[in-house]
Amino acid sequence: MTDIQQTVYVVEDDEAVRDSLELLLKSDGKPVKPYESANAFLKDYSDKMAGCIVLDIRMPGMDGMELQKKLNDKHSILPIIFVTGHGDVPMAVDAMKEGAVDFIQKPYREEALLEKIEAALEQDLEQRKSLDEKQEIIRRVKSLTPREREIMDRMIAGQANKVIAIELEISQRTVEIHRSRVMHKMGTHSLAHLVRMVLSVKDLID
Amino acid sequence: MTETVSENSEVTVLLVDDNPQNLKVLYETLKDKGYRLLIANEGEKALDLAHRHHPEVILLDIMMPEMDGYEVCERLKADPQTADCAVVFLSALDDLQAKVKGFSLGGADYISKPFQSQEVIVRVKTHAQVIRLERELQARNRELQSDQTRILNSISEGIYGLDEHGVIEFANPAAAMIMGCPVEDLIGQNFFERHFSTAAESEDNLPVMATCRQGVAENQRNIRMLRSDGSGFPGEYRSTPKLDNEELHGAVVVFRDITTELENEQALEDARTMVQEQRDQLAHTSRLSTMGEMAAGFAHEVNQPLTAITNYARVAKRMMGKEQPDLVLLQETLDKIEAQSHRASEIIRRIRRFMKKPATGKEVLAVPGLLDDTRQFAEVDMRNNEGGIEVQVEEALPEVLADPIQVQQVALNLIRNALEATRSAGVSASVEVSARQCGDKCVRIQVRDHGVGVSEEDEEKLFHPFHTTKDDGMGIGLATCRSLIQAQGGEIGYERPEGEGACFWFTLPIAGAQGPSCAPEC
Repeated sequence: MTDIQQTVYVVEDDEAVRDSLELLLKSDGKPVKPYESANAFLKDYSDKMAGCIVLDIRMPGMDGMELQKKLNDKHSILPIIFVTGHGDVPMAVDAMKEGAVDFIQKPYREEALLEKIEAALEQDLEQRKSLDEKQEIIRRVKSLTPREREIMDRMIAGQANKVIAIELEISQRTVEIHRSRVMHKMGTHSLAHLVRMVLSVKDLID
Repeated sequence: MTETVSENSEVTVLLVDDNPQNLKVLYETLKDKGYRLLIANEGEKALDLAHRHHPEVILLDIMMPEMDGYEVCERLKADPQTADCAVVFLSALDDLQAKVKGFSLGGADYISKPFQSQEVIVRVKTHAQVIRLERELQARNRELQSDQTRILNSISEGIYGLDEHGVIEFANPAAAMIMGCPVEDLIGQNFFERHFSTAAESEDNLPVMATCRQGVAENQRNIRMLRSDGSGFPGEYRSTPKLDNEELHGAVVVFRDITTELENEQALEDARTMVQEQRDQLAHTSRLSTMGEMAAGFAHEVNQPLTAITNYARVAKRMMGKEQPDLVLLQETLDKIEAQSHRASEIIRRIRRFMKKPATGKEVLAVPGLLDDTRQFAEVDMRNNEGGIEVQVEEALPEVLADPIQVQQVALNLIRNALEATRSAGVSASVEVSARQCGDKCVRIQVRDHGVGVSEEDEEKLFHPFHTTKDDGMGIGLATCRSLIQAQGGEIGYERPEGEGACFWFTLPIAGAQGPSCAPEC
């Protein structure tokens, strides 16, 4: 797993709010990248981005909710903190249903905002870490030969070596050799761990 | 001589002679000529017949026993009932003396005896006609006079005829009724002393004085006049000089008591004020309701600078926490705080101005500034109208005379409707607001959108109160707009634009322009 630089992406149409937020976050030592519109951010977006988005819900042109939908379509995992106004709570609720991590109402206290940003960055980190782990598991699963894969599936299903040998019409000894190769390639010594690993990526490998 | 029998039939001729032979001849001569003939053979009898029958012509013998023709004539002329008949003397006395005496007693003509029948016929005819014409003329005169009297009596305005000193020579019954006394009490009185409490102090500047003295016509309203009992009333009068061959003979004054009229006017004025107040009230309520609808937008608008201020303040604090603060950067940040607080107060100022009650009254206004202000206002609760609002104002547009808040209210209402229609249609075309001069008296402001438009059915009822196409609308927006624009002396309307959308317009009078403001086709 590589160490990715986390950035706070500020998407805010109001110049003063954007500028002040940028200064504030920078003074707190966070890398910040400001965007003046949802469109500008969308143009710049790549799945290499890490960190979180501080997104104004109310903007001329494309608003925050729309940007969230477009990012969801792109399978973005960047956590979004919506910045809302006084009357926007129903919108914020919708945004939460769409997967936003949090929202904060303007005008906000710095501590509250920073706290939410910290939490979002943490979540991003974890998501990214688990994503990396999953990708590693998938890579390992893909390195198995078809016979090894078959044997692993039966192991996970709880079949004993004897049963596997009879059903596949091979010797019990051969099953044992495959089994140890599977454990080696998957990088584990415990069947329970193997089961957990494979189940966590089940959706992705089937 | 057979003509005009019917005409003659109304004519009565009295023949007077003491000689039966003469009477017979006269009778024979005049019978069948269509006259009613009466006969008398002595003076007393003649007077009696004349008194009873009012003959037009009397053929009167001079030489009669008892009472001669002269005396009969004298007595006829003395009686008003018979004074107007034509007396034609008959006498053998063919001397000048007798004729002169006859004429001096009022005789109309003279026929010498022995008479020629032709002469008698012609003279009787002539005099009969003269008398008839005279009587007709008199009857016509009497009729005219009574007509005039009737008119003067039936006029409800008081009429005075004054001499050049202001003495009342004539007063009609209405004048007496207004003044509260009989006509007779007014005649001979001095108009000025009688009707104006200040007459004793100074005669100058009194109403009607200039008409009496200089022959200048006057017309004044709400002048305090006094009745006979000394009570006062507000009056209106017109006075015209009485001229005879350019010579001033006083004045004719036509006047009336306008107490009720003034009361009615006051009542009308009160009603008008009340309507005005209610319109202002309604307009204010409508502004408040607009503000209510826009509250979220305004909260956002005010929160932006507040948020920025909070952020900047934190940044500044952090800078100061450092061992060697960057003073230049700190200064910059404080400047930014200041700018943002101005921005917030500007927004609040704008809201407060719009909510002010009542409206401020008419001012000379520059349309571009007003429209730009309104655009910023409307943008507050604009969301996904990517096109936004475009304002286009013709160059050198003259200033208008109008109430800025009410005009802004109308413009805001139209623009917000346009934005909503655009949003409903899901298009991104901008709302076009334009202003241009129209004729030399007004400026026309137009709001055009490319939204859902107005159905033909709704078009007619657009400005009707309580007509609405919005689910949550009350239907007072456009009706209020119309009353507001009409109060400015302008017009408001809708026209179907080419292509999609709707187009509303209103006009405002150019400052300094006179007369009715705008032609509707502008």
